Amino acid sequence: MGAPLLSVRGVSKSFGEVHALQEVSLEFSRGDIVGLVGSNGAGKTTLLRLLCGLYRPTIGDVVHHATDGSEHAVDSVRQNLGVVPESTGLYHRLTAWENIRYHSRLSGVRDSQAWNRTVRLARALDIEDVLHRSTRGFSKGMRQKTALLRALAHDPDLLLLDEPTAGLDVTSARKVRGLVRMLQQEGRTVIYSTHHLAEAEQVCDRIIVIHNGTVRADGSPRDLMQHTDTDSLEEAYVALTLDASREVSDAEVYGWFQRKWIALLSRFTARKQLEIEEVTEDE
Amino acid sequence: MSEPKRWPGRVALVVAKKELLDLVRDWRTLVALVLVPLIILPLLFIALPLFLEGEIEELDSIQLNVVVQLSVADDFPEALDTLLQDANISLLFEQLEPGQGNLSEPGGDEERLRLAVRNGSTHAILRLEETSTNSTESWNYAILHDSTSELSREARGRLLDSISDWEEDIMAANLAEVGLTIDEATNPIRWDGDFTAADVSTAAESAGFVLSMLIPLLIAVWSASAAMQPSIDLTAGERERGTMESLLCTAATRMELLFGKWLAVAIVGSGAVLLQIAIFLAAFSFLLPAGFFGIPELGPVSILSLVLSVILFATSVVAIELALAVRARSVKEAGTTLAPLLMAFIAPALFAQFVNLEGIELWWFAAPVFNVCLAMREALLGINDPVHIAIWASTSVFYAILAVGWASKQFNREDLVESIN
Repeated sequence: MGAPLLSVRGVSKSFGEVHALQEVSLEFSRGDIVGLVGSNGAGKTTLLRLLCGLYRPTIGDVVHHATDGSEHAVDSVRQNLGVVPESTGLYHRLTAWENIRYHSRLSGVRDSQAWNRTVRLARALDIEDVLHRSTRGFSKGMRQKTALLRALAHDPDLLLLDEPTAGLDVTSARKVRGLVRMLQQEGRTVIYSTHHLAEAEQVCDRIIVIHNGTVRADGSPRDLMQHTDTDSLEEAYVALTLDASREVSDAEVYGWFQRKWIALLSRFTARKQLEIEEVTEDE
Repeated sequence: MSEPKRWPGRVALVVAKKELLDLVRDWRTLVALVLVPLIILPLLFIALPLFLEGEIEELDSIQLNVVVQLSVADDFPEALDTLLQDANISLLFEQLEPGQGNLSEPGGDEERLRLAVRNGSTHAILRLEETSTNSTESWNYAILHDSTSELSREARGRLLDSISDWEEDIMAANLAEVGLTIDEATNPIRWDGDFTAADVSTAAESAGFVLSMLIPLLIAVWSASAAMQPSIDLTAGERERGTMESLLCTAATRMELLFGKWLAVAIVGSGAVLLQIAIFLAAFSFLLPAGFFGIPELGPVSILSLVLSVILFATSVVAIELALAVRARSVKEAGTTLAPLLMAFIAPALFAQFVNLEGIELWWFAAPVFNVCLAMREALLGINDPVHIAIWASTSVFYAILAVGWASKQFNREDLVESIN
């Protein structure tokens, strides 16, 4: 485990009556590739926004550890932060390079340095020939890759990616995963939210399962499977995200699970000697 | 990577530069701020008068048919006959039916004239009846016409003009019998000499007066309207398009981002207002006689007052519009919020044009919007009252600080990262 980079200490975040995160405590070390896994509305995006200082915790605090051991509020160290939000947020009247250059200039990076780094990374993502094209009309994959280049142009230590492969074709998703591995080799820290368990297992050293605003598990994919006594990460996830109240209610498991989940659920409930009364599919 | 160059204002300039590039590439902004004034104002002040002039000439060239009804068929006055022929009116004579209550009652001619106007055979009926008075000639008359027909209204107008000239000839004849001219009889007290020569104001002062009635209102209204579209695009537009979140994640502080956006909107708005005023003055002067518009001679205090009032007003307007727009999560929502705001600027600016500056109460110079409009009026008139200047300058600074503070508060809202998408 590397030196500490970020600490989340007893953080809760509420929006009025809605409690998006409750009493979350996490440590992130330098060089970690961490996957945040959870369903829609679980609290992944809220956690990422807390980590980059866009949200302030209702309770608790989030601190950044400098290499000299001092602690700073995260919004004071954004210089070391690269973020790709869920909506890529590109200006469609600007070219890809103009989008990247704008953010690197905001970080005080010289255009020539940002350009050299961008070209190198664009080559890895196979989009170097579209850098001077307007982003209007870019495919989802091209937008996502441009947003990644924008987040990396100022050479940050920490990268926060909110579902970077959502909606991407297989090839593009593969390129993005390849880039994340390349960043890991460069010693950067990547916190990566995703729905895809297989992807998380493939890319991340550590997986944090978030469900209903709480951390249900935190460990390597193997740790999670051992902890839940399951054979795959998917089964482990299902086990971890079943609400406790439902586990003990003897039968009633109503869910939003898609078809592929039903088989997993059946196996799990059989092992736990529960009975599925009815499964309904959310439209 | 290189050390960031963090001199004050650098990030705001980067933001402003990018926003200007983005706005210049937006055809809607260009249409609203540049193309519309370039087309609408010349259309309004040059093309419309030319068009109306052409229409009047076209109408004048049309020969109109009028039926003249007389009590005695052969006693139609020759002088009137000549005048009506000169007015391009063709006459058809009829006997005036006896027993009418008065000449204005259409009687049996009502339906007949309506049909005749529709088929174009007759456009009006002139009824004439000679009466007996001490005048050399005396007549009663009425004109029957259809006010819903353009040609019938034109016929009535030409008849009234011709009758007025005829009446003047009769008056001249009557007055001549007692040794008077019309001017002597109707104008016993007269202005001696050139009316405009008696005005002691200089051409520059006159220009300042005319501009003081126009410029403050135009600047107030156009500043508010010109800043609206860019304010919405740079705030609610960013939220709607999802670009705000990634922008807020950068190393730039929110105040730097706000200042950069404010600067961009202020530059675009000021440019648009200057363009609009230039086009307006050029187009407006087209309507006026040559040399009517002079250049006002403004002293350094007046120029300083004018510039300061415009800057302070623009600071407040842009900050208020940014603050309101940033609260909206979509462009549509921002438009709905900001549209009524325009009235809040137009109404006081309009009132301020009619406030009498002589003996004006001091509180006018403290009231928002009024204060800058009155400041601009006084500056253009060359009035440099130190008390007035102190009040409007201090209150404007206060309002600008309040507006910027409010905008800053709105820009620090946590929900700014959320969008309708």
